[in-house]
Parts: sequence; structure tokens; C-alpha cells
Amino acid sequence: MQKKSIWKKLTASREASLVIVLIVLCAVVSIFSPNFLSPTNIGQIFRNNALIMVMAVGMLCVLLTGGIDISITSILAFSGMTVGMLLKNEILSNTFLLFVIATAIGLGCGILNGVIISKGKVTPIICTMGFMYIWRGLAYVVSNSSWASGSDVAGYSDFGKDGSAGPYVILIVVFVLFFILMKWTKFGRKIYAVGSNAEAARISGINVDRTLTSAYAVMGMLSGLCGALSVAIYASAQPNMQYGKEMDVIAACVIGGASMNGGRGTIVGTFFGALIMAIIAKALPLVGIDSIAQNTVKGVIILAVVILNVVTQRMMDRQNLERREM
Amino acid sequence: MSEHEGYILELQGITKIFPGVKALNNVQFQLKRGEVHALMGENGAGKSTFIKVITGVHAAEEGRMFLNGQEVHFKGPRDASAAGIAAVYQHPTSYPTLSVAENIFMGHEKIKNGLIQWKQMNQEAKKLLDRLDADFAPTAEMGTLSVAGQQMVEIAKALSTQAKIIILDEPTAALTANESEKLYRIVDQLRDEGVSIIFISHRFEDMYRLATRVTVFRDSQYIGTYDVDKISNADLIKAMVGREISDMYPKPEVKIGEELFRIEGMSRTGYFKDISMNVRAGEIVGMTGLVGAGRTEVMESVCGITKADAGRVMLEGRVLHINKPQDAMKEGIILLPEDRQKQGLILKWGLGRNVTLPIQDKLSRHGFNDEKRERELAKKFLEEVDTKAVSIFDPASSLSGGNQQKVVVAKALAQDNRKLIIMDEPTKGVDVGAKAEIYAIMGDLVKQGYGIIMISSEMPEILGMCDRIYVMCNGRMTGCLDRREATQEGILSLSMEQGDSKKTQEVEA
Amino acid sequence: MAGKSGRTIQAVPQNSVKKMLLSWEGALVLLFIALNIFNTIISPSYTLTNVLREMPKYLAEIFMLFPMAYILVLGDIDISVGSIVCLSATVACMASNAGLPMVLVFAVGLLVGVACGLVNGIILTRFTELPSMIVTLATQIIFRGIAEISLGSGGSVSLKNIDGFNAIGGKLGKVPYVFFFVMIAAVIFTVILAKCSFGRKLYAIGSNSTAAYYAGVNVQKCRLIVFTLMGLMAGFCAMFLTSALFGANTTTGQGFEMDVIAMAVFGGIATTGGKGNLIGGIISAFIIVLLRIALGQINLNSQLILVIIGALLIIAVLIPGVSSNLRARRKMKTTA
Repeated sequence: MQKKSIWKKLTASREASLVIVLIVLCAVVSIFSPNFLSPTNIGQIFRNNALIMVMAVGMLCVLLTGGIDISITSILAFSGMTVGMLLKNEILSNTFLLFVIATAIGLGCGILNGVIISKGKVTPIICTMGFMYIWRGLAYVVSNSSWASGSDVAGYSDFGKDGSAGPYVILIVVFVLFFILMKWTKFGRKIYAVGSNAEAARISGINVDRTLTSAYAVMGMLSGLCGALSVAIYASAQPNMQYGKEMDVIAACVIGGASMNGGRGTIVGTFFGALIMAIIAKALPLVGIDSIAQNTVKGVIILAVVILNVVTQRMMDRQNLERREM
Repeated sequence: MSEHEGYILELQGITKIFPGVKALNNVQFQLKRGEVHALMGENGAGKSTFIKVITGVHAAEEGRMFLNGQEVHFKGPRDASAAGIAAVYQHPTSYPTLSVAENIFMGHEKIKNGLIQWKQMNQEAKKLLDRLDADFAPTAEMGTLSVAGQQMVEIAKALSTQAKIIILDEPTAALTANESEKLYRIVDQLRDEGVSIIFISHRFEDMYRLATRVTVFRDSQYIGTYDVDKISNADLIKAMVGREISDMYPKPEVKIGEELFRIEGMSRTGYFKDISMNVRAGEIVGMTGLVGAGRTEVMESVCGITKADAGRVMLEGRVLHINKPQDAMKEGIILLPEDRQKQGLILKWGLGRNVTLPIQDKLSRHGFNDEKRERELAKKFLEEVDTKAVSIFDPASSLSGGNQQKVVVAKALAQDNRKLIIMDEPTKGVDVGAKAEIYAIMGDLVKQGYGIIMISSEMPEILGMCDRIYVMCNGRMTGCLDRREATQEGILSLSMEQGDSKKTQEVEA
Repeated sequence: MAGKSGRTIQAVPQNSVKKMLLSWEGALVLLFIALNIFNTIISPSYTLTNVLREMPKYLAEIFMLFPMAYILVLGDIDISVGSIVCLSATVACMASNAGLPMVLVFAVGLLVGVACGLVNGIILTRFTELPSMIVTLATQIIFRGIAEISLGSGGSVSLKNIDGFNAIGGKLGKVPYVFFFVMIAAVIFTVILAKCSFGRKLYAIGSNSTAAYYAGVNVQKCRLIVFTLMGLMAGFCAMFLTSALFGANTTTGQGFEMDVIAMAVFGGIATTGGKGNLIGGIISAFIIVLLRIALGQINLNSQLILVIIGALLIIAVLIPGVSSNLRARRKMKTTA
């Protein structure tokens, strides 16, 4: 009896079951590659996935409102390319200012998304699909389709170079900040409320349009931040950077328990979801799956997780019905 | 302003216009301090709109509102709640994915230094829930609670705002007898604590048990306010319906024929269990019980909307195998669904296309629509039910509730293979005139030898129109009454019954 | 039996030339003419001969407009179409290089498309709780992923023998075959949507799927058919695209989903379902194709062309909301 309740507790909480999956995953991978859990390797995993993880925080906000944003990596490319060009043409070299500029660009893009979706009543997928091509295209336009190479961004990339604390600091600050914002402030709870029941939120006096806009604004802002971070970590800027990675971000959230219908999902869950995705990506070559198959595996994982969610929900509903007395 | 002083809340000359409809026409209302005041009227009389005007959700076009004798103008729900007015709506307006405590404190969270104090909120929620004698924790997820539980959370929410006026919109509609009794006690307790309560309900027993005064609305207008102990049941019904109810039900004398339809031992987990009933040709069979008793669910399973887990359906002695709505329609079992706007009609579409949608395949030639014939048939059936519309191209959304219902009826008439017609709450939200017309159509249909099952919560129409009345309670059939022996009290006691087996023998009778 | 009150209801449809000209399609025709004038001005090489020569690779996309319009009318969306094109083209090229006869290559290409569409359809109709957006987003990477795996490290495949594809990429006079195929498909799909019982059902589902289900429309069957059809037409697109490009790579078909959705939305088909027709969609498809050709002729950055199309898409989806807002505001003023 006791045992059962512990098991139930673990499976009842999404976060707990994610931790179990994570432990099992690490254990299995460690068998194939014993030094998988070495500090340097773990550090690498976080550094290589910092962008995905930071953007997953924003994506969670958007998914919580019941929306989606597939323009994020284009916003990243646009702001990152702007940073790259400012450096290349030696207009600006202050790291802090460049981060501010990139974040501001992202924020602007995000607000635009949000206003069109909330005020213009446009389906999120359509609106962000349009902007996916617009921002990506503009990334090519600002750079005239050229690159900013390692030498162009030399001093700046120290912030994100291997061994620098920069990416980790940003990662920690973003996660701690949003953990608090989403759980303990009205800002975060409004997003949950709107996603859970927009009509009720309106009746209880929440400005639904503004809340929606703020979710997309956060998403854009973090994407912009990631643009600057990407240039620092990879010591280059190309207009096609992080192409298609929005799927990784969505996958991280979905694995972390975010519902596509809104209202459900946590920062902690998203963190573990992103980590699981990162470890799977890292582990695939180790267990003999060609890295070329990575995209397919990712897609299958997303599909499997959303289907699994539906199946478990159906089972729970069924159980609730059976419990009903007649 | 002294004239307003006896009242905690007073509204005068309120008019609210929605595109095309006057939802409230110059209504008034007065609430005394510390009283329980019932607000009654038929569906569509304007009660819910009125509540939303009080709570600031809708802004009235005309009229004035006084709170404690002071005129107030609410710009939004927030103003109303700041003024101490809280509403518990008919459909709980909750956040299903959030915790109970969060639902209770939504909009007035406990905040210190910009941070939400979860611990304090959970503790205070616990206190409120204990006061209401609730059996769930403040950390439970709202979506997992029963309707009664969710309603309790809504009441706790009202209490948490220190509301001086609490509005309960049909709170007992989805509750069992025990749960209703518990709610009565809570309301008593609140009144004793000095809270003023507006109570909307269709159930007379709610009103008698709780209220001291009752205000009646009809057709968006104010009819009157009465002392509960001074007005008779008949007078109250007359006030609500607008005429003596005896002449409303043109039930024709029809020779009842052979058994047409029978269901045996139908069950669907969590919705209904072991349901048996039959209908004979020319018979109008009523199906009643409280909302949530499982009436609609039984009929939806009969029609293939959902699947039953057990039992069989027979038509003219043959066992039917119905897996999807088309199967039932092919056999001539036609459902007029409960929710016209969501299930019965495509509101954006013209009336004509709505009418011919179910028979479209039959009308089409080699897959091509025969639009001319569609138009002719639509015109014919819409005229047959006397729809008040200019053309068959008018969008369904432009019609009033009663005329929309007539379009749904026309849709059923267009299916000429019909044998059994199942009408789920056919007069809900329909004005009195259209009601009578719908009853007349029902009479015509049984005269032609069809069978009708009518699901309804409205006692007068069940008693007035049906040959036999099946009563359901909590997923079980608790009884079947003949027209001659049926009384309001008899039906009520059967619908309040907790599902036990001793009554099921009567079903066969 | 006549009406009890003797009231009669009009049943004669009223069509007027004025109404037609004021409609969205009327506006599109004017836009189409304006665009051609604009194109002639900006691009000296915008002549009929040149346009017809450059047309085939753009025309192939229009095959997917038709089923996409159906999907949008249903209130669904399919963003995996570009990936289906990629997979179908890849497999067909490989089949051709393996020495299969052209007929079989063509069949294989279409079959791959159908299979992909069927996968989408089956998942969506089995798990109706899932929005089509997330499912097709996932299959978008899966289908392209499978193509990536098949293409291997090189990431591309070129046809060894282009005779077969050259044949379907041929011309009748100056006009490429693909134009005729597109027009045939256009007529079939337009007629089914506007005049057939199946089309009416799609509108019913998109307007109110619950009411459609209650009225006996087999909602899930219709969705399955339409998503499969989408796969089939993506297969057609892939075949004609290959006949213009003679190969496939990992980026084949990238962004097609937006092009196609933009064509549909610009043609007046609502993404919320139940509204729009293919006549508008076809005119807007040609507007986008001709715009692309002209912008390509003046050597505009191909990415900038995507920016323009993205902007067109967003403007198009904003129009219904903005215009209804304006109308509501005007109404408010008149009643006040």
C-alpha cells in the first residue's frame, strides 16, 4: 500500500516522472559511454543547448496561452545577424550594449507577433509562420547574405567561448527569474489564467489581449537575447543560424509537460524536458544512430509524447467515469 | 436619495441591447440587506443578462444602479467585485488546469513584495473550504472536481472577496438532493452572517426553502416582486409564463398503436446504467429528471452520437446496430439536439442549407448538389413550420431562439424516412408563442403515427404534453408515470431519488 | 400543407454583377491586372515567352493549393506539405536512378505522397484531441528527416537519366504541360468544393463540426480523405518540381507550406474554417507566382521575395479582422 502511494506520487507529478526518465536515460548512456557524466561533458551539454533552453522558457509562456510561435529562430537570426554586422563593420563592440540591442530587437518582433495575434485575431501559427520568413529574410538582407566570421566577432565572442561563464550565467538567470515570475507573480499567473480559460479571465478583470501580447513579447525578447548569445557561443553569425531549431524548443516544452491547449506546464518541467532532448541528441551517436537521423528521432519523440498525453488523459477520464456512482 | 436607503442594491430602468435583440427592457430590481431574494423566469427571460449587468460584465444601455443608496457605474467586473458584489455563474467560470486555492484567489491574490504567498493562500483557502464543509484540498486541480465541488469553490471565491452581495445563478441545477441540501445550509449560514443573496433558480423548492421575496422576469421585462409566503404556485407560474398554462398544451387525442421503439439494459460507464424504455406509435413520451441525470446521454447513445457499452436498441421489433449518427438517421431515428446553436444549426449558414444538410446525399445526383430541389424542399419545410424569415438565405444566426428551433424541426421534417423523433429540450429559450407552435407540430406528428420522445426539465410541458413520463436520476431510470397519475410532486420525488433498485420495477409497468 | 399563417419564404437566389465586382474575387482580378502592369514596368524581360519559360517550377506548388484550401475550409492546417514534397521527390529521384521505368517512378512519387498524407490523416482522426498544427509540425520534421536519411551525407540526389522527367516537363507550343495539369486540377477541385455534396460537407465541418456530426456528416472520414488528398497533390507537386530541377536535396520544398497557405489565405479562404472558395485561391496563386517571376527577373534577393510573401500573408489574414472591426465601429456610430 505504502509502496503504491509513493509510485503514484511519482507518476502523478510530471516533474518527478521526468526526473526518473532523466536518471534512466543517463544510466543507459553511461553504460555505452562511461565518461558521459563527467563535469566537462555536462558543461558542454548545457553550453551547446543554452539557446534551446532559454527559448524554451519563452515558448512555455506562449504555449501556456494556447498559442505557438515558430518565428523564434528567425528572430534569433535577425537579431544575431544585426549583432554580427555591427561588429563586422566596427560600429559597436561593447558586449553589454550589443546584448541589449539584440534583446530589444527581439522584444520588438515579439510585441508585433503578440499585437497581431491578440488584436488582429490572427491564428498564432499563421502569424508566426509569416514572420518566420520575414525575419529570416531580413537577416539575409541586413547582412547582404554574408557572414560574420570568427575574426569579425573576436573580442565579443569571449563572452561565450568554451570555458567562459557567460552562457551559464544567462541560463541560470533566465531560469531562476522565470521560475519566480511564472510561479510567484501576477504576471505569470495571468498567463496561466488566460491559457486555462480566457473567457473566465476576462470576466475576472484580466486584460486578455495584453496578457497574450506579453507572452509573445517574452518569447521574442528571449529569442533576441539568444541571437546575441548565439553569436558569442559559436563565434560567428550566419543568416541561416539555428534554422529549424524551433522544433527542438517546442519539443522541450512538450516533453516537459506543456499542453498544446494552454494552461498547463511549468518552468521546472521545461528545464527537464530540454535536458532530456539534449541528452538524447548527444546520446544518439553513442548508441549507433547516425546523427543524420536526429531530426527524424526528434519528430517521432514529439509525436509520441503528444499522443501519449492524449492516451493518458483518456485513461484518466475513463477512470473518473468508472468511479462515478450510479 | 432617501428612497433608496432601505435597499443594499437597487436597479432602475435597465435596458440592455444585443445586436438585434433587446435582452433587457426597462427592468427594475430591489435587494434588501440580508435577504435571500429569488429571481425567476423562463429560460431566455433575461435573468443571466441581468446578473451580468449587476456584475459589470455587460454595460447597460440605459438605467441606473444604486448600491447602499449611492449611484454606481461599473466599468468592468473588477469594479463590481471591489464594491462587494460576487457572482457564482451557472457554468462555473473556473480555470480547470489551476489549483483550487488559485481559483479562489484569482484576481485578488495574496501578494507580499510582489510575490504570491502560496502558503498563506492555501491556508486561507483551506479555512474557507472547511467553512463550506468541502471534502477536497486547496491544492487539488480544479478540473478534477465534480460540478458540486467546483460550485463550492466558486462560493468560496465569493466569500474570499468579503462580498456583501452574492449572486447564485442556478446553483442547484446540477446538484443531487444531498448536495442541494448542503448548499441550502451554506446559503442560510451566509444570510445569518449578513450577506445579501440573489438566487436564480428554476426549482420552486429552492425558492420556498430559501427566499423571502421573489422577482419575476418574462420576455426581457420586469413582471413583479412578491413575498414568497403570499404568492401561490399557480400565480407565480402565471407571472412567469404569461398565461394560464392549461391552454398551452394542445395535446391531441391520438389512438396509440403498436410498440415502435424499445431499449433494453443500456449502459454507458459513468453516464447511465441499465436503462430500459419503450415508445409506441402515436405516443409522446417524456423524459425528465434533473440536469445531469443522464437523459441527454441516453438519447445520444441511441442516436449513435456516442457509443453505449451495453444494451440493445430495437425499432419495430428489429435489433438495430447503430455506430454513428448516420446509422440512426438511416433507420428513421431523428434527434433534435439540446444545444441548437452548437449542435443543431450552422449559424453562419442560410436556413435552407441547414434544413437540407442531413438529406444532402440523398438529394445529390452523382455527387453533385441539386440546388434547385434543395431550395424547393427547404422552402416547403420552413413554411410548414411557419418560420418567421424573409428568405431561405437568411443566416440562421439572424433568427430568434424560437424560430431557430423551428428550423431545427424543419430539418427533422425533411428526413422523410422518420419514425421516431427525439426532441431534447425543444422549448428551451423559446418564447411563449413559438412554444405553442412547436407543441402543435408535435401534435401533428403523433397524429400521423410517429413516435416522439421529449426530454425536458420544464415540468408544465412534461405534464401537459406527454402520454407517459420516464424519470431519471443520477444515471438510472427511477420511474415511469402515466399521464393520468403524474403529478409535479411525483416527478420531483423520483428525480431526487438516489439510484436504488426498488423503483426499477415500476419502469416496466 | 401551407404555412399556418400563410407566410411565404423567398427561395430565389439573387446574384448581381455589382455584388460580384465588389467581392474579394473581383478585387483580386483587378489586383491581377494591376500586378501585370507593375511587373511590365519593373522588369523589361517580363514578356509572355519569358514568363511561360520560367513558370513550371513555380506552378508545381499550385497543385497543393487545392487540397490546402480544403484543409483550411475544414478548419485544419497542414504544415508538413513542403516536407512531403521533399520526401516524394527524393524517393522518386532515387527510384529513377535505380533504373525504374518512368511510369513506376511517377507512381512511386505519388504513393509516397499519399502515404505521408495518410499518416497525417490517421493520426489526426484517431486522436481527435490533437490540433492538426502540432501533428503536422512533428511530421514536417519526420518526413524531411526520412528524406535526409535517404539522401545520406551528400544531402542531394541528381537524376542520372532526365529523359522521363523531361517528357513531363515538356511544352505544348510555348505553354508547359504543367500549366494544363494545374488547370485541370483547378477545375476538378473547384467544382467539387462548390457544387458537390462532398464540398458542402467540408464547409459544414469547418463552420460547425459538432452540428455537422449531429446532422450525419462523417466528419473524421472527410478529414482523412482530405489529408490524404493533400499528400497525393504534394506528390504531383514533387513530380513536376523534379521535372524542372532534375534532382532533389534536403531543402527541396522548404517554405512551400507558407507559399501555399499564403495563396489560399490571400484568395479569401479563412484559416478559421468554413469560408472561402477556390476561385479566389487560384487567382491569388497566379498573382503570387507572377510576382515571384517578376521579382526573380530583376534579381531581387530570393530571401527578400520570401519577406514580401510573408508580409502579404500577414496582411491577408489581418484584413477580415480589421474590416469587421471597422464595420462594428461604424455600426456603433450609427446606432449611437
